[in-house]
Amino acid sequence: MRRWSIGIAVLLLVLGAVHAASTSTAQTVVAGNLTSGPYSDASIVAPVPNAAQVTIIERQGGWYHVRLDSGKDGWLPMTSIRLNSTSTGSGWGTSWFSLFQSGRSGASGSTATTGVRGLNTGDIQNAKPDPKAVAELDQWQMKPAQAQAYAERLPLTAKPDIAYIPKVKP
Amino acid sequence: MNARALALAAGFALAGLPLAASSVDLGNLFNTVKQAVKPADQDQEAEIGRDAAATLLGATKPIHEAEVQQYVNRIGLWVAMHSDRPDLPWRFAVLDSDDIDAFAAPGGYVFITRGLLLRMHNEAELAGVLGHEISHVVLKHHLNELMRAARLDLLGQAASYEMQQQGHDTKVLDKVAGASRTLYSKGLDKDDEFDADRFGVVLAARAGYDPYGLLSVLQTLESVDPKSSSMQLLMATHPSPADRIAALSASMKSGRMERFGNQPEGQGRFERIVKKLVLPAQAGKDDDEDDKEKK
Repeated sequence: MRRWSIGIAVLLLVLGAVHAASTSTAQTVVAGNLTSGPYSDASIVAPVPNAAQVTIIERQGGWYHVRLDSGKDGWLPMTSIRLNSTSTGSGWGTSWFSLFQSGRSGASGSTATTGVRGLNTGDIQNAKPDPKAVAELDQWQMKPAQAQAYAERLPLTAKPDIAYIPKVKP
Repeated sequence: MNARALALAAGFALAGLPLAASSVDLGNLFNTVKQAVKPADQDQEAEIGRDAAATLLGATKPIHEAEVQQYVNRIGLWVAMHSDRPDLPWRFAVLDSDDIDAFAAPGGYVFITRGLLLRMHNEAELAGVLGHEISHVVLKHHLNELMRAARLDLLGQAASYEMQQQGHDTKVLDKVAGASRTLYSKGLDKDDEFDADRFGVVLAARAGYDPYGLLSVLQTLESVDPKSSSMQLLMATHPSPADRIAALSASMKSGRMERFGNQPEGQGRFERIVKKLVLPAQAGKDDDEDDKEKK
């Protein structure tokens, strides 16, 4: 019975983390139009004022599929919104980092026993070179044919002729 | 290329004149200019890169999950194969830190923290970040800075000779390690970061990915409290995410990158891999599903 209730508690914890990780909001940084598709000549669904709260459903290319507070959904250019700030940077959609953190604390039963592994300026300034760790990187190195086969599985189609893009003033 | 032509090329490159992107290969132009200023021997670059990478790996180690490391090497090499230096011995690794950062070292080393990987949503975002780091290597940003700081250009032939004779020179290691500690804690010139952003998205697009992945990651970074410890090193070494978003989106618009916005994101494959970090017990159960993915 006791084990059963612990199981339920863990399940609720994980479901809670998944829920928290998948609800995300953002706000518009310019006034614009919600459109019916992810392209600039799509029909207009509704005007959207600056600073409107939206929920992100998905991203496709330079567009976010969003839902307004009114319940209407449609597309906005990526740079017309800013994600609402969070302490961990869970962003939108599934936050794998939040799930990782809750999984880690769940495994040990306590968040206090497993510290977050940091990497700050001081760690770099005090680093003692580790040439052996560099040599060990070779074990994961791939050959071009392996990388290509994996790309083709997705499938990805290479477009080697795409030109570099110019530096322009924002 | 004679001196006058080179100066002209440098002038165009530095002024960032809106030359037709399709007719001028800006990447090659940058490369040519930088190489002409500081010629770098390939062996010397490999040695400096090993020492710089050793310094970074002295601060934090690669994670143990081989499947994740191999995955990042497959994606990274595929993106690098579409750069101007496809034949370098490219090596990629995920580092055991929950903070948000990524690094490049000369000769083809690219590192990304677990904290950054787990804040992404799909393979296109990973390709964009790796493309940024690969561009630092291709444009020799760290190499030139380390050579200048460690005064290796003055050691010149002597250093190269010792490297060839002994395979590994401790004097060079000490100099490069010292210069690396400073460079990787203070960061490159901001313009190098903006350049790596816009070259990186092109490499991701050439590799077949949705090129907006890097912009998406920068938007996620913009949403993290800039004073949080997870952002300390990144903020100390890079322009703000907001400035990078503004510069990159303007360049992408000018280069009409929306033409490639419907290229794959690779969300399913990415999620199956990161689950192995989030839920280690599931590792190894569904490897064959990669073969079935279609978008």
